[in-house]
Amino acid sequence: MLFNTTQFFIFLGVVLALFYAAPRAWRRYILLVASYWFYGTWNPKFIALLLTLTAIDYTAGRWLEKISEPRRRKAVLILSLCANFGFLGFFKYYNFLGRNLAWLLGRPENAFWMDIVLPLGISFHTFQSISYVVDVYRGQQKAIRSPIDYALFICFFPQLVAGPIVRARYFFHDLLDWHAPSTDDVSRGLLLMTLGLTKKMAFADQFARIANGYFSNVAGNPGILTAWSGVFAFGLQIYFDFSGYTDMAIGMALLLGFHFPVNFRRPYLASSITDFWRRWHISLSSWLRDYLYIPLGGNRHGRWKTYRNLMLTMLLGGLWHGASWNFMIWGGYQGVLLSVERLVRGDRPAQDGWEDWLYPVRALATFGLALIGWVFFRAANLTESMAVLRQMFGRTPGHLLLEPWHWGLAAVSLVVALGEEKSEWLERLAKAPVLAYASGLAAMFFFLEMFGAFDAAIPFIYFQF
Amino acid sequence: MGLFGLDALLFRTPLYPSYLEPDSSTGQFELILHREQAAQAANGDNLIATLGNSRFAYAPRLANELTPQTGYVFRHAGVAGSDVRTWYYMLRDLDPAAERYRAIVFGVDDFADEDGLFNPNDDIRSLHYVIARLRWSDAWDFARSFDGRQLQWEAFRSALLKGLVYQADVRAFLSDPLKRIRYVQLCRQGYESWTYDYLETDRSLAGMEIDWSAWSVKFPPGVDQDQRDTVRNYLMRKAAPQVGRLAGYRRLWFGRILERYARSRTRIIFVRLARGPIRRPDNIIRTTSASIREFATRPNVLLCDEHAFDALERPELFKDGLHLNRAGIARFSPMLAEKISGMLGPWAKR
Repeated sequence: MLFNTTQFFIFLGVVLALFYAAPRAWRRYILLVASYWFYGTWNPKFIALLLTLTAIDYTAGRWLEKISEPRRRKAVLILSLCANFGFLGFFKYYNFLGRNLAWLLGRPENAFWMDIVLPLGISFHTFQSISYVVDVYRGQQKAIRSPIDYALFICFFPQLVAGPIVRARYFFHDLLDWHAPSTDDVSRGLLLMTLGLTKKMAFADQFARIANGYFSNVAGNPGILTAWSGVFAFGLQIYFDFSGYTDMAIGMALLLGFHFPVNFRRPYLASSITDFWRRWHISLSSWLRDYLYIPLGGNRHGRWKTYRNLMLTMLLGGLWHGASWNFMIWGGYQGVLLSVERLVRGDRPAQDGWEDWLYPVRALATFGLALIGWVFFRAANLTESMAVLRQMFGRTPGHLLLEPWHWGLAAVSLVVALGEEKSEWLERLAKAPVLAYASGLAAMFFFLEMFGAFDAAIPFIYFQF
Repeated sequence: MGLFGLDALLFRTPLYPSYLEPDSSTGQFELILHREQAAQAANGDNLIATLGNSRFAYAPRLANELTPQTGYVFRHAGVAGSDVRTWYYMLRDLDPAAERYRAIVFGVDDFADEDGLFNPNDDIRSLHYVIARLRWSDAWDFARSFDGRQLQWEAFRSALLKGLVYQADVRAFLSDPLKRIRYVQLCRQGYESWTYDYLETDRSLAGMEIDWSAWSVKFPPGVDQDQRDTVRNYLMRKAAPQVGRLAGYRRLWFGRILERYARSRTRIIFVRLARGPIRRPDNIIRTTSASIREFATRPNVLLCDEHAFDALERPELFKDGLHLNRAGIARFSPMLAEKISGMLGPWAKR
């Protein structure tokens, strides 16, 4: 059930109605049943997997709180991590490893192949679960007593399949001390849902058509302008698709009285790659920072170890997205960029200010570098990635794939993003007088009506991770 | 409310519909409607409107060469690819008081109701033809006229928010507004004469033979793929199960039209068009009803002799398996004018 379908809105309407009509004590049960039902509409078999992981990490959390001996605590943590990474590894990486092993052993490509269906959202809920167990191990989070509460933390439908990866402390703060959403929360929630839907259907899906057209026939679309416009379209598609999903997730969570952290902060306005990663998929990058980069030593052990840690973190971040060399290369590319940036910058803090007169140049360069990275993210394989890159830096001029109205959409989004960056209009609109608020919503809906792709429900890109 | 307001401001006023792409389904429909509204102003009370799809191909210019004798002026409000559902909405706005025309002539494939493989209720093209004509109050009724749930939903939401249908047109408009505006202005100036003086192609199927027992066709040299396809897909179509879908569809939509004209002096005339370049054997399909004949029991409904145009069913008068060619139109147009004028009797001022 995709967020951009009529069925989902009917589902959400029913859940909201039942949630607020039910006595308070029943509400978490309603959310739990609704979440499992939501997940079950995709593939009911994998509810068992979700329950298994939930049971393992719930139990691990409880044990960690009861046990005081460090070695036994560590053993429990390792057991939990093994279970989590074991499931993730099997479902997501088994065939990738099998293919590479077969290649190394000179066996046929499918020698170790198994017909494995990737459970929806496994990368997201596994990371969320791991963060809980590690936090309990570190003493930063109390173990949750109620298995129902813990199960809801793992399967809460707004963020189950594509995040944001919510830390336990945020979620349980809202769940255990639940308050009905304030008027501001409701207006912000509705606004974010509308904005998210508009981003997805009016922007992402329109750019998706261009990007899909280009990447489905790279050889048939030669030329510099063709390649850059195809990659540009994908760059916009992935941003609007994922941030649109996140906005909807945050919006509907607000309507249910939960506050999720921001996951995107206008990443294409970033003035450096470091800045980009502070703005892009913030819940993942902060997870990687807190549970991988810092435990590896972060920047505390000299320059070279910092570069090594950056590379390792980004390589694993790339691999998190998908089991292919392309994602590894994408992660490695980001790691190299971050390392080079740190090398050039030295120990000086990153210059992210708008006031810097070089900002437009740096923002444009960052955007260009991000686009080059997206080639590996989107292309079907390494050969195709190289073909796209050869076209992007080739000699044949080619032609632009985008029509004037696509540029119009891009320009509108740039103006809106600049406005938000400067004046946080979204926050202000959520608190604005009714007439201004309603006009804002109407304008978004009208944009959706005019540019929304209603003829085909294009899945969210991050659902595959 | 704001969304509906914005949508209404743009699409329920002439603001945007005046600049629709003239070659789109909606644009064609609107051009024809406005052309015929203008023709009403330029003519007296001797107008006869004809409605049909592209198979009802005749040249009003040729039919009107008989005006000095018959007194009647023929105007063609037919739209290629349209059907009776779209004609209902066309007539509702073309003739709001249901009294502007002396007669309205519908050209149909057959008086009998032959079901094809396609369900006419679910022809979503209707939505695109009539979108500019739909009112708020039509939304429920129009949507319910489709059978498929998905189509009902599409029709319903589009009737409420027209922008959903216009969006492709708007995007194309935004890509080059000046070019669109110039083209629309050009069409407005020239559409009447382009269509009134239009000459159909003189290609034909002369020499084509069909062996119905072997279900095979022998094409003459020089026939292209489109011509072959129309013969195979239309003329040589296999019989579909006869379930009464077309009868129901015709009874509903012609029924509504006849209801509008029930107390009018306008005559409603049904004409069976030449069936094709070669006549299909009668035993291929056994139809179970003939809704058009049922309509003839109403006081202001007339049926033209079913065999009036059988003489046109010859390969040399057809450009493909469906449509008359220039020579066919040249023969059909005066025949039609004579036949209809004869049925109406001599024109006299009302």
